[in-house]
Amino acid sequence: MRTSLVIATLGVLAAPASAETFRWAGQTDPNTMDPHAGNSAPVLGFLNNVYEGLVRRDRNMAIEPALATEWEPLEDGAGWRFHLREGVTFHDGADFTADDVIFSYERASSAEADTASWFAGVTEVTAPDEYTVEIRTDAPNPIFPDSIANWMMMDRGWAEANNATRPNIEQGSYATLNTNGTGAYRITEREPALRTVLAPFEEWWGDDRGNVTEGIFTPIENSATGVAALLSGEVDMIEPVPVQDAERIDNAEGVDLQRGVEARVMMYGFSQDKDSLVGGDGVEGNPFQDPLVRQAVAHAINVDAIRQTIMRGSAEPTAQLVSAAMRGYSEGLSERPAYDPERARELLAEAGYEDGFSFLLKCPNDRYINDESVCQATVSMLAQVGLDAQLDAIPVRNYWPELRADEYDMYFLGWSPGTFDAEHPFRFLVHTPQENIGTWNFGGYSNPRVDELIPAIQSEIDESARQEMLDEIAGIVQDEMVYVPLYVQPLLWGTAENIELTQREDNFFILRWVTVN
Amino acid sequence: MLAYIIRRVAQSVLVLLVTGFVAFSMFSFVGDPIDNMLGQERTQADVERLRTQLGLDQPFPVQYYKFLEQAVQGNFGLSYRQGRPVSEILVERLPATLELAAVSGLLALAGGIGFGIFTAIRRRGPSASTIMTLSLIGVSLPTFLIGILLIYLFSVELGWLPSFGRGQVVDLGWWSTGFLTESGLKALILPAITLGLYQMTLIMRLVRTEMLEVLRMDYIRFARARGIREKSINFRHALKNTLVPVITITGLQLGSIIAFAIITETVFQWPGVGLLFINAIQFVDIPVMAAYLMMISVMFVGINLIVDMLYFAIDPRLRVDRTAGGH
Repeated sequence: MRTSLVIATLGVLAAPASAETFRWAGQTDPNTMDPHAGNSAPVLGFLNNVYEGLVRRDRNMAIEPALATEWEPLEDGAGWRFHLREGVTFHDGADFTADDVIFSYERASSAEADTASWFAGVTEVTAPDEYTVEIRTDAPNPIFPDSIANWMMMDRGWAEANNATRPNIEQGSYATLNTNGTGAYRITEREPALRTVLAPFEEWWGDDRGNVTEGIFTPIENSATGVAALLSGEVDMIEPVPVQDAERIDNAEGVDLQRGVEARVMMYGFSQDKDSLVGGDGVEGNPFQDPLVRQAVAHAINVDAIRQTIMRGSAEPTAQLVSAAMRGYSEGLSERPAYDPERARELLAEAGYEDGFSFLLKCPNDRYINDESVCQATVSMLAQVGLDAQLDAIPVRNYWPELRADEYDMYFLGWSPGTFDAEHPFRFLVHTPQENIGTWNFGGYSNPRVDELIPAIQSEIDESARQEMLDEIAGIVQDEMVYVPLYVQPLLWGTAENIELTQREDNFFILRWVTVN
Repeated sequence: MLAYIIRRVAQSVLVLLVTGFVAFSMFSFVGDPIDNMLGQERTQADVERLRTQLGLDQPFPVQYYKFLEQAVQGNFGLSYRQGRPVSEILVERLPATLELAAVSGLLALAGGIGFGIFTAIRRRGPSASTIMTLSLIGVSLPTFLIGILLIYLFSVELGWLPSFGRGQVVDLGWWSTGFLTESGLKALILPAITLGLYQMTLIMRLVRTEMLEVLRMDYIRFARARGIREKSINFRHALKNTLVPVITITGLQLGSIIAFAIITETVFQWPGVGLLFINAIQFVDIPVMAAYLMMISVMFVGINLIVDMLYFAIDPRLRVDRTAGGH
């Protein structure tokens, strides 16, 4: 009697009196609905509404229980034990059990998956009983629960019945277009690149859900069209709002501008393992191998001016490779190198380049907010200290191949740490480039001490010892100016004024946090 | 006749082959699809594996040969972005583009002929010169700007028409149409104007010039002298003789309407093949790009072929000159 009453009350709460349709537009359509075939923000962000992991991130990016109610480190060896939530069902009605976790591990860590790197240290996943899962790792991994918030659970029976037991990035599978998660919303219509419709999953286990009864997502590539669609009331939300339109939306009737900070840090990187410059003129060797030159670049760039004029005031200057909101941020190292052209000249003179030199600055022109303008501004700022940067701004589809081919001397990069931990950029950007690590360290920076510390950080259980090591690397990166961090990219969304929502730092849009008033 | 057709068809096939070859040689400059297909945590081994699987490690003539081999069997491969057969995606998207092109074409033709006649007859009137001035703007403003201006006027300010998309469509099984619903028809108006404006001004100027030419002819003067009503002279005698070049141009322009729909479709998020192509470029979706370019070139080559054959049928000189050493 009591249970049925509770269920009835919950039912009333979950089903709002009127139908609330929420239409939103983004620039990129997720290219797959398979949570293990795409490790990119558009895919994972969208699928967070449909699928769920053992853990999830709350509004402030902290880890909270989702399909696991609690977890603890294993007593006999390295790894974690997760206690699963009971009574959870998939959208098709199947029960969620430990077997689905094992299946999702096998699927997400397979060679065909794009998410295999999350499970690099995992040796075995076992299920002692139906609602307990043990994940063993080759070394203690304190941030493992943090790193699997986007590891989404798929039903074994559903995948087997539809011949989708492995993701297929190249050819697609049933799971590329169809979904069957445990999340608060299920997909009722999917037309790739045109329209995706979501409806609430009535049997969802949670209660933290707004009042949207129908969600319609339309990709609109042209940002001016997106702004017009918002202003004319045809959509209730757009993301992102182009920086140049932010003020207009802020002032317009009936719409609101939602400002936030993204986890993405923008920075400049340098060629460091080459003996000469690609675009070098009037210089022998590679000046960027000298930390003094890299420091000079840092002092020459006026981040505040970039923030004011190009980003129209919405960007947070930063001194590290992660923003202050990330776990493992080094509190003591938040001082950015001051804008000081005089100091930059002195440093260059000290390094033996008082006459300056010319070099090739590579930038994307369609990847980050106002990327080309930022690079252009940088060129003129560097010119003031005698550095002659030859800017080559190209579309992102050509950008990465060019960086891989070493066609740059200095380059522009944005990094969003997938684990929301300071260790992430060190692993990908600072560690000596190898097969599975340092894969985005284009410049080839190499420091044995850093390489020694990173595995130690990955397996350190003690928080303060871990932080100490993170601080040490952050200190090295800052002293040697391996990268010149500039600012944290702003998050600008436009909404109709009757919409309440939450902007999370990873730029994921969570439909269940939307309330239509 | 048959020999001529065979020769023209052979030439067309050659043109298609060359177009495809040039297209494939360009694809490596468009970028690398692997970066879009794998996330930031991929390893070099993942990249190599995928590259081999997609055949991207092969030189482009080999890639092109493989594409042709499949294409002649009607298989255009799988889209990198969507993981679905390209032919399926094209068939899904084509109705949107064809409906838009048809409406724009009709609009251009009706508006162009109407305004053309008007400005030719009322050559010195103030409204004719206003139309002529406006048409200059239509010719010189870029399409995307016209689109954005129309959106701001009719969607944002007045709120009459939708700013993007195709509205509600009705699926007829093999064809999805926007003609049968109110929102579908409303959604057509702005993109059709945007796409058809340039063609409309072109046709208008053509009709006007031809009409002025014809109105100066002797037989018009004699008709006037005979006391035939002005209306009958303008529409029965003059207009008919104006229309021959107009029809030729319109036929040829139909191809470019479909091809130039790319920009209009991007501005209005119109779910046609042009938007598909733009998306494909951004993602470096080579199978989609290849199939689209082939489709467009087949269309252009086909239209030209038909026009050539029509000339052949109409113009006897093409037949007589055969022995004199070609044209």
